[in-house]
Amino acid sequence: MSSTPLDSPATARRALSGPALIGLVAAALVAVALPVFTSGYVVYIANLLLVFVVLCLGLHIVIGETGQFSMAHAAFYGIGIYASALANRAVDLPYPVAMLFGALVAGAVGLFIGALALRMRDIYLALATFAFGEAMQWVFANWDSVTNGPNGLRISPARFGPIDILSDKQAYPFVLFFCLVMIGLTVAISRSRLGRSFRAVRESEVAAMAMGIDVRRARIVSFGLSAAIAGFAGGMFGLFQTFIHPDSLGFQTTILVLTMVVVGGLGSIAGAIGGAIVFGLISEVLRQAPQYQEIIYGAILILFMMYAPRGLFAFIGDRIREARHGR
Amino acid sequence: MDLQLALIFLQQGIASGLVSGSVYALLALAIVVIFKTSDVPNFAQGEVFMAAGYVALYLFVFQKMPIWVVLPATLAIAFLAMALFRRFVLDQVAKSAKDLVYLVIATLGLSYVLKGLVRRTGFGDTPRSFPALVSTDSVMIGQASVTMLDLAIFGAAVTVMAAFFWMFNYTKTGRAMRAVGMNPKAAQLVGVDLRRCHMLIWGLSGVISAIAALLISPKILMTADMGSIVMLAFAAAIVGGFSSLPGAVVGGFVIGIVENMVGLFISSRAIVLAPFLAILIVLVLRPQGLFGGKLTIKKV
Repeated sequence: MSSTPLDSPATARRALSGPALIGLVAAALVAVALPVFTSGYVVYIANLLLVFVVLCLGLHIVIGETGQFSMAHAAFYGIGIYASALANRAVDLPYPVAMLFGALVAGAVGLFIGALALRMRDIYLALATFAFGEAMQWVFANWDSVTNGPNGLRISPARFGPIDILSDKQAYPFVLFFCLVMIGLTVAISRSRLGRSFRAVRESEVAAMAMGIDVRRARIVSFGLSAAIAGFAGGMFGLFQTFIHPDSLGFQTTILVLTMVVVGGLGSIAGAIGGAIVFGLISEVLRQAPQYQEIIYGAILILFMMYAPRGLFAFIGDRIREARHGR
Repeated sequence: MDLQLALIFLQQGIASGLVSGSVYALLALAIVVIFKTSDVPNFAQGEVFMAAGYVALYLFVFQKMPIWVVLPATLAIAFLAMALFRRFVLDQVAKSAKDLVYLVIATLGLSYVLKGLVRRTGFGDTPRSFPALVSTDSVMIGQASVTMLDLAIFGAAVTVMAAFFWMFNYTKTGRAMRAVGMNPKAAQLVGVDLRRCHMLIWGLSGVISAIAALLISPKILMTADMGSIVMLAFAAAIVGGFSSLPGAVVGGFVIGIVENMVGLFISSRAIVLAPFLAILIVLVLRPQGLFGGKLTIKKV
């Protein structure tokens, strides 16, 4: 196993050379051309995957960069969905502004929970968010006047000034654009002083403190950012989806996102993106066999932790390297 | 609500709270004893509890085994499953990645595997209850009505907790466990077998969860989702400061009583929110918990 387990900007730059770059360009071309030559269903799945990419980026910030747990990712996602849908319709904000509003609400709630939970042990964040996720699902299912309770809420089409977005294909360019913006933002955060302080906290609390980093503040900020990004993903979901049910905002979804991040490789942005796409497709296939879903998710989490803690891509890379060196 | 009724509710709430609280206390104890020694909050504790309940149900109802076989068999299976998970899964995880995060994710994985497996068996499709071994005739204590079964649950839970306490505080094995919790390397230097000690702790924690399941399953409808009461156990552990065994027990009773009070005085629909609110209140007012001492930062 190589000695640098987690991406530093140096490894990120190295990954952008030669074949990787060609692959990236090819992926970009496919992504842009997708709605031209495929059916509505494929575009719908692509939209969904892009939303999951953003959810994974959010979870990456808190778990990959800072080494903290958020067990309420689906709750922040839900807050973003409801807040941006309502802001778009009830207050008639233009949709991009409504999405920002959703992200702000989710981020503010995240900061509040984080500030409370991180007063003691860092593991309290995991427990408090675990409970918060359950509580929020209950709120989504019972706050009838806002969420239409257990019947689910019909999300009216996203409104950009005079235009209403009515189909998946229409929404796709916007979803893709916002996803790229979020990837750019996450990379920027990760390479900034803030991102470095997150990783310092993850590696050693004591050493980080000695460097003059406010450990508690770094943790709270990272959690708040993660919640805001999840909320933004909720806004993206509202761009193309017409219906939201509280059942899809429970712990199950948090675990799905966590599994994606784990499959891609904890601690790397490329991993979070790749994991969202690879495992997003796998989970779409798994829909055929719902009775095995839980066992498979659980087994993947355990096996990856045991044998491939750096994720699928690093695991394959290691095997290829070993084969080349004839071992 | 007049005073008379409020008093009756109060007594009933405390009595019922102590009964359900004893189950939360057992589960919180199981969580805290693992956290104290491994620093891992075991997110699979609720599913271990649930799976143990189904093992007992399977042996007793479907295999028609006599109860004096079912009880020890269930406890032994719970012990083995948890000890082996520690030995073969978590030791491997710890070997391939140093960070705690990875161990915690592995426990989340276990919770999903267990839940999925139980669902696959199909026993959980129709909610059922484990047959009660003690009569369910009710008795009055003050103005609160409880059943003989309730008293048995409370008594058994307190006995188990006392036995565990004694083991943890006064036997050589218990001393070794506490030493591992304080400083694993130093414990190893004075001759504690770390691997065996961890297996024993995880195994015992499985046994405690199984006992909790055996005690409560005659009173509730069992489903594959019944492990979600672990939420209340986590809340109990936080109330107790998360690393204190007496704290976990007291926290369990507090959460049980609060839960019942919320159900009686406010609304049974609000019960779901009780654990979160309890965690929130503790974090605001007394973040170190009722029994938590000062927190010390572990060195690098």
